[in-house]
Amino acid sequence: MKRLLTVAEMTLRELARRRGVIALLLLLPLAFYLIRRDQYIGQSIRSLFIGIGWAVSTAALFSTIGARSIEPRLRLAGYRAHDLYLGRLVGLWTLGVLLAAPFLLLVSLDTTGLRYGAISLAMLCCVVIAAPLGMLVGYLLPREMEGTLLLLTAVALQMIIDPATTIAKVTPFWSSREIGTYAVDNMGTDYLVRGSVHGIAATLVMLALVAVVSSARLRRRPHLRQV
Amino acid sequence: MNAEPWLALLAGELRRQGLADPQVATVVADVRAHLRDSAEDPYRAFGAPERYAAAVAESLRGPASHARPVGPVRLQADGITKRYGRRQVLRDVNLTVRAGQIAAVVGANGCGKSTLLNICAGLISPDAGTVTVHGTLSHSPQDGGTAPYLLPDEHFALVGAGKGLTRDRSRTAGRARAGELGWQDVGATLAGQLSGGTRQKLNLVMSTLTEPDVLLLDEPYQGFDRGAYVNLWQQLWRLRDDGKAIVVVTHMLNELDQVDIVLDLTEANS
Amino acid sequence: MLSAVDLDRRNQWLRGILDLCVLALLARDESYGYELGQALERAGLGAIQGGTLYPVLLRLQRTGCVTTRWQEGDGGPARKYYRITDAGRDCLARDGEDWLGFAASVAKLLDEGGGP
Repeated sequence: MKRLLTVAEMTLRELARRRGVIALLLLLPLAFYLIRRDQYIGQSIRSLFIGIGWAVSTAALFSTIGARSIEPRLRLAGYRAHDLYLGRLVGLWTLGVLLAAPFLLLVSLDTTGLRYGAISLAMLCCVVIAAPLGMLVGYLLPREMEGTLLLLTAVALQMIIDPATTIAKVTPFWSSREIGTYAVDNMGTDYLVRGSVHGIAATLVMLALVAVVSSARLRRRPHLRQV
Repeated sequence: MNAEPWLALLAGELRRQGLADPQVATVVADVRAHLRDSAEDPYRAFGAPERYAAAVAESLRGPASHARPVGPVRLQADGITKRYGRRQVLRDVNLTVRAGQIAAVVGANGCGKSTLLNICAGLISPDAGTVTVHGTLSHSPQDGGTAPYLLPDEHFALVGAGKGLTRDRSRTAGRARAGELGWQDVGATLAGQLSGGTRQKLNLVMSTLTEPDVLLLDEPYQGFDRGAYVNLWQQLWRLRDDGKAIVVVTHMLNELDQVDIVLDLTEANS
Repeated sequence: MLSAVDLDRRNQWLRGILDLCVLALLARDESYGYELGQALERAGLGAIQGGTLYPVLLRLQRTGCVTTRWQEGDGGPARKYYRITDAGRDCLARDGEDWLGFAASVAKLLDEGGGP
């Protein structure tokens, strides 16, 4: 447990020091929110959710790539694979919640009559799914430029795809769209339920993928025997 | 001819070579007496202080494998073979290192030195062959193995936590080892902003902090000036005396008469 | 004055033989560093720098072939005197004989090869 928390703490410390990155990560969701602001509020808020998802997944990407060099030696120093990926996740989720909080405040101040509980839930969904998504991209595409482009593409697709189609349900942040619709358009609870189920499912899938890929990368190789 | 400045330099170099103070005093006294008799310029008679100090240290140390007790086998690599595409990087390489031995892995660039070390560390899999490690292992990668946005103390804390050390103990131990490598003022500079040589010292401290039985060091002296290089070998010899097994990938050949095993991969692969 | 190449070769020869030469001098009488250097030069080995001589003396001390003592100079500074031990005499006898045999073989080879 101590190892996991140490990794979480260091993940946070590292990211907190990258001031430029933090600034951009705060500005982009804000931009997403403001650009659509003069139009229908629902679009604005749903864009904000995607923006938060993008910001947290990009932070996760940078964090994961930056740790490539040090994780194998931590493994040799006594860390298990799950200490490392779960620790990083906890750190990233903490960062995500800290990033989302001012936006929740912004929305509650800037609007009235919306279901703020559901809005918090949608933001939480984005944070919880974005962190493992970014880690996964970081494992598979170990360069910051390529990874960022991939995440941007994913985000763009997320915004463009019509949420009613089947293919939309495969996108990671679809849950936030559905919950957002429930919160803003005063729709029925079926949106909330659908969104929550998707959110949970997407989280579990992401977590499983991160666990599998991370464990595979840091696995004990069969040729090496330690006595 | 005032020999005192030269003698002062000599004293410093002798200490750096690991000689105890009484020995340093004796050697300096001998030289001073000789220079008084011969009235020669010390640079002419003895050469540069660091060269003479190295010669003295070698005379006092004696050849490497003299009567030092070697222990049980700590690292056994058998039949390591690795191919990348069409390129055969390692072909049936064997290496056995016992406790209290230093093995130097040498060879031309691209002949697989780092690959061999990575295989022994369990980072990549060979096409064939096995590696057996008796005890704990650490690996000091060539590219530094540090986190650019963390402080040195935070690195020590991270590594120490792997062994269950408290923050304070990790920090004290890390700073002590840094001092042994000549890195006295471990301040609040992020690892990514340290000079190449200092970052390499951080790399090394992280490897030794867990007190492993086997140390795998990939070109550990990168960015070191001559003083740091000498310090490093002092540390390695001290670790060897403590019964560690050490494998060093190096392309600097000066110290080869002070190690126990030399594995030349350019020959091994041909 | 020796050329650089000759100096290099001579240094290589010295590496193999200087310790035995020093022991040979000490076999007659104890001596100190500077005096040994002078004696070696007079014997025809060329100028032996302190930086070459003292490591050899240290090695002989370490392997027990010589012992040392400091002696107060008469009206001058103290000097370290080197004295050969029994082990040193054994070493000189044994390795010295080996060397002489070796040198004789070399001489014969050079002679047959149309040498000097």
